[in-house]
Amino acid sequence: MSKNVYRIVPLMLIIVVLLGALPAFAQEPVTITWFVGLGTGAAPEQQDAQIAVVDRFNETHDDIQLEVIFVTNDEAPQTLATLIATGESPDIIGPVGFAGTNAFLDNLLDLQPFVDATGYDLSQFDTSIVDFNRVSQQGLVGLPFALFPSFLYYRPALFEEAGLEMPPTAHGEPYILDGEEVPWDVNTLTEIAKRLTVDANGFDATEEEFDPESIVQWGFVNQWTNMRQNATMFGPGSLYEDNGDGTFTAVMPDNWRMAYNWVYDAIWKDHFYPNAAQEASDLLANGNAFASGNVAIAQSHLWYTCCLGDDTEWQIAPTPSYEGTTTARLHADTFRILNTSDNPEEAFEVLTFLVGDASRELLQVYGGMPARPDQRDQFFADLDARFTQGVNWDIAIASLQFVDIPSHEEWLPNNNEAFTRLQSFWSFIQSEPGLDINAEIDNLLADLDAIYNAAE
Amino acid sequence: MSTVSDQVALQQDARRTTKKETSSDLMRTQRIWGWIFLSPWIIGILAFTVIPIVASLGFSFTNFELNKPDQVEFVGLANYVKLFNDPLVGVAIKVTLRFAALALPLAIILPIALAALLNNKNLKAKRIFRTLFYMPFIVPVVSAVYIWGGMLNSQTGWFNRALAIIGVNGPNWLDSQVWIYPALVIIGLWGLGNSYLITLAAMQAVPTELYEAATVDGAGAFGRFRHVTFPMISPVVFYNLVLAVIGLFRYFEIPFVLKGSEGFPGQSTWFFNIHFFRTTFGFLDMGYGSTLAWLLFAMTMAATLILFRTARYWVFYSSGEMF
Repeated sequence: MSKNVYRIVPLMLIIVVLLGALPAFAQEPVTITWFVGLGTGAAPEQQDAQIAVVDRFNETHDDIQLEVIFVTNDEAPQTLATLIATGESPDIIGPVGFAGTNAFLDNLLDLQPFVDATGYDLSQFDTSIVDFNRVSQQGLVGLPFALFPSFLYYRPALFEEAGLEMPPTAHGEPYILDGEEVPWDVNTLTEIAKRLTVDANGFDATEEEFDPESIVQWGFVNQWTNMRQNATMFGPGSLYEDNGDGTFTAVMPDNWRMAYNWVYDAIWKDHFYPNAAQEASDLLANGNAFASGNVAIAQSHLWYTCCLGDDTEWQIAPTPSYEGTTTARLHADTFRILNTSDNPEEAFEVLTFLVGDASRELLQVYGGMPARPDQRDQFFADLDARFTQGVNWDIAIASLQFVDIPSHEEWLPNNNEAFTRLQSFWSFIQSEPGLDINAEIDNLLADLDAIYNAAE
Repeated sequence: MSTVSDQVALQQDARRTTKKETSSDLMRTQRIWGWIFLSPWIIGILAFTVIPIVASLGFSFTNFELNKPDQVEFVGLANYVKLFNDPLVGVAIKVTLRFAALALPLAIILPIALAALLNNKNLKAKRIFRTLFYMPFIVPVVSAVYIWGGMLNSQTGWFNRALAIIGVNGPNWLDSQVWIYPALVIIGLWGLGNSYLITLAAMQAVPTELYEAATVDGAGAFGRFRHVTFPMISPVVFYNLVLAVIGLFRYFEIPFVLKGSEGFPGQSTWFFNIHFFRTTFGFLDMGYGSTLAWLLFAMTMAATLILFRTARYWVFYSSGEMF
């Protein structure tokens, strides 16, 4: 009996120790945190689908545990910054475009080494869209995912009412104005926008009797825009030059100076573009101007379909050219990995899952056009089910050939402060009549110079 | 050998010592419980007030940016020097002073006028009026600002529609760099309920015999107000003035809700507190943001001290108290 006890007890102890040590031999899954909110994605109705994607990933991966954090868009930058400051940085952020990540550009990881190491196939995307995600300082900071090309939205009924032909249906096609073929360019847009601007007495903005104080319908608006977005119809541009010695010079490209003169005249001289008060009024749906039905043409992105409700009284047209060149600005959302991630390889694996296997569900939630050409038919079929008027989506796809590079969302030195100054300039010209716009641009450049170079 | 009296004395000493010890134990226990009951407040004020204040002073000597915590460096007085080179500080101070020039007199005069009106013995339905004038104060600021934003829209707002009825072409209240200030003042007037109420309470506390004596001495309505009412309510006016000045320096909610944190239209609502908020939480520059916070504190403190210095010349304390 006692002999048995001496044998059994040590044996039991060994078994207990081994059993206790087993979990230590089994590898703990790596936790990857995904931060949603810098762009779209944090709305309550969007969350379930993303949680389902996370669950699906976790069910199929024992080695990685994916967790998602949702933060409302207005609080996301501060929350992310606080997480970074407290060492609780997430691994992946997104979906987000450049505008949303410019403040965190220094925190982004270059994905190229991971692409090279894993042999990830970038050739499945258009080269221009891959290059759009390359940033000179950081390298490849995202894989193509959701695209939001820009074009014009217009209301055919208002064109008919004004006796105007419909806009062309493809880039490069001419427009028929008063029976004559004319180029589909900024000048033509100006002319038809004036004719589509109508006062309470039914006079349009080309007529002498037109009363700018009682406008009830506007010809054109750049929907939910900012200063740089407004200029891109006149071509791409950049507002700084890197002097190479850590200093920067504020510059205003000639085409953009022309653009601001054009838009200022459109607001205060020709009156076909609503001023700030008009845009914020009930008449223009407190800012959702085109959806109000009282604007004939709006320049915007594919994401604007979000905000048209069940309105089907619209069509899309190509962006007009300026001096023979068409530029259709692009917004592109994707996921990015922060360089503070402790597990970048696992984070890259999750990233490729989000832009790959999970992309269809996620793109439906975010409303973005797939960066992969083979997924686009289904995407537009879904949109057609919602907008039954028969939209020519080929225009949206063709817009990708005219992307603005450098992007109007490119990083600026001392980015947040510079962006705020640009916003105040845009608000200023949309609010104040009687300005010498070129003098104001010069004032802006002087301020930008100071802001850029206050960035150490 | 101890005598009986010695033994009694010893027993008394022992009792006294025991009583003292018991009393001391009780006090200690009470003291401990006192600290326990005070601890939530103490922890709260330490965690949410004292430590952040001290930390912000420390941050103001660093280049701490929230998204670059690993690059924090001590920069000495660089942030304080930057205050003098930052054009937005000048803009913010100018905007704040411009608004103060319009808002401050009204914030002081209107509550007095309103209180005098509602204290008038000839006014009927005083309680209804008093309630009506106080009610806007209890409307949450954000809701009120949204409502006012719609009412003051130059195109479709009720204000300009009402003006149009009498043939006046209403201004562009919210999007003009000039008219935005009157618009903010109008919205702010909704918040006067509290200051008018305490002014009214002060007026009601003025002894009636003072008015009777003044009337006997031949004082008219204006004379009674000037020589009796105003001196008697001057401590409350002073109180309202100090609060209004502090409120102006920390003016934030209304322009923030109405025009966002970017100072629209143009930079006309770039108030000092908006600049502080934007720098700290928009530009994520905690170091310089802390410096702005300390400048705000210094300006507010200086203005308050100046007001207290002037109080001795115009504030009358019937009990003779003076600061």
